Amino acid sequence: MTILRAIWALARREFIRFIRQPQRVVGSIGQPVLFWLFLGTGFAGSFRPPGMEGVSYLEFFYPGVLLMLLLFASIFSSITVIEDRDQGFLQGVLVAPVPRLAIVFGKVLGGTLIALTQAVLFLMLAPFLGVSLSAGGVALILFVLLLTAFGFTALGFLCAWSLKSTAGFHAIMMVFLMPLWLLSGALFPIQHVPDWLHGVMAANPVTHALVLLRLPFYHTVPQILNDHDFWGALGVVVAWVGVCLGLALVRVERREQGVRNP
Amino acid sequence: MIRIHDLTHIYPATRRQPSRFALSHFDLNVGAGEFCILSGPNGSGKSTLFRILCGLLLPSAGSIIIGGHDLMRVPRMVRRIMGVVFQSPAVDKHLTVSENMTIHAALYGSLEDSVGQRMAEALEWTELKNRLHQRVETLSGGLARQLELAKCLLTRPQILLLDEPTTGLDPASRRNFLDVLKSLQRERGMTVLMTTHIFSEAEEADRVVIMKDGELLACDSPQRLRNRMGREMVVVVPNDPEAMATALTEDLGVQPLRFGDELRLEGVEPQDSLPLLEAVLSRYRPEIRSIAIKQAALEDVFIHMTGGGAKDAEETS
Repeated sequence: MTILRAIWALARREFIRFIRQPQRVVGSIGQPVLFWLFLGTGFAGSFRPPGMEGVSYLEFFYPGVLLMLLLFASIFSSITVIEDRDQGFLQGVLVAPVPRLAIVFGKVLGGTLIALTQAVLFLMLAPFLGVSLSAGGVALILFVLLLTAFGFTALGFLCAWSLKSTAGFHAIMMVFLMPLWLLSGALFPIQHVPDWLHGVMAANPVTHALVLLRLPFYHTVPQILNDHDFWGALGVVVAWVGVCLGLALVRVERREQGVRNP
Repeated sequence: MIRIHDLTHIYPATRRQPSRFALSHFDLNVGAGEFCILSGPNGSGKSTLFRILCGLLLPSAGSIIIGGHDLMRVPRMVRRIMGVVFQSPAVDKHLTVSENMTIHAALYGSLEDSVGQRMAEALEWTELKNRLHQRVETLSGGLARQLELAKCLLTRPQILLLDEPTTGLDPASRRNFLDVLKSLQRERGMTVLMTTHIFSEAEEADRVVIMKDGELLACDSPQRLRNRMGREMVVVVPNDPEAMATALTEDLGVQPLRFGDELRLEGVEPQDSLPLLEAVLSRYRPEIRSIAIKQAALEDVFIHMTGGGAKDAEETS
């Protein structure tokens, strides 16, 4: 019970910090909307992939924007890991009588809550944007978003834990975290790319998260639950989240130790 | 209350640096209810010792028993009875005073229903009582430090570790912080271990530990440490310290200790100090800029024991 309270207290702190910075709230909802509108409208005229007639780019890109939201929210919360260490808050938590996994889960849960809030706001715009969803579809989307947000935040935490400055994190963000999204099928369909890129995209767990997110837009819930692709992709995403969380937990438990012999 | 036995810490080698000893066969016992000050020049190992004591660093060898619990085996038992005040703030400045206190309570597993009462108790001595909903970033340096201490008191610790807690405070706030700490310590019977290199802070301690190069140089009450020095000393500031040191040794048969521009003749009996001053003055009047008789203060003990490495200590005090 103690650990749950500690996790909740740390997650709550993340959320309070988020809503106390109005520019973060505005940016977090403004950015995906702008991306979606500009890229979606810009590509609308030239996006004609074979076999996807009738799907506008605005429609195609919508689940991808949801995923982008999660990615950026997790990047923000990973940066706070570095700030916490730099400014001293973390040392106070490290000497408290709670297992260090509370730190991981507190951060991950906090980041996930922020990401979900943004995603829900973006989903509420869906009817106005001409995207229709059933209640079951929304529930399924939220579930997938929750799972993916956990994965992203745990991954970001893992990258950020041992860094001393936020400058180093920007490099990791650009060459590692962003490509996970770029090569997920969010911007272009996986079906019509060269073989090597197809291989890379298929190995990217985020691609499978996007498959899960796309399904409720085109299929009913019973159809999805009977689909092998859904369970396969779900398996990949669950495994990815598990591995990221596991590695973060192992990493955070490792303590600096003196050597026996000079 | 705190028993440190044969503690050794060697930092592993990195690409740029070879491995190095930070603590070697260090022993220290701090009794229950004692106010113990840990001092030493920069690089003496006191920060390493502090980080080991709060469980952030695992030592190479040795044992630490705190409040009857083995720190290496059951760190969580130790953490429960220990409060730590770091040199850098460990509060979230975007949150309010009460939000920070609540997080701390949750981390220490304090019961939800008693938090309100405990918070009142922990804040009772502070000037924060009417600022519960003020964000920490709007507080002055002194008030922010009070919050750090109040936060620790929330869990009613038996042991308080403080790492140079008054760094960055003005003299009045520093005095205020120490007075409060001292009275809280007495009132609640806490064991306090605090690092500092400001010697006016050490004068009121029950015990002062002086470290150098990872070893314990001295561990005694401030009074007894001062007594070790002999009662008085004559401090000479000559134009040319090098030449004067040689002259004093050759002519008067005394061994001056050089510290910056000063030459110190230590361990002088009170009845001998004035004649010594007169003798020095009559012989070398033109070469002397100033001369004085000084009572040994803790700082002088420190300078005496740690030698040249004490320069930082004087600059910051």
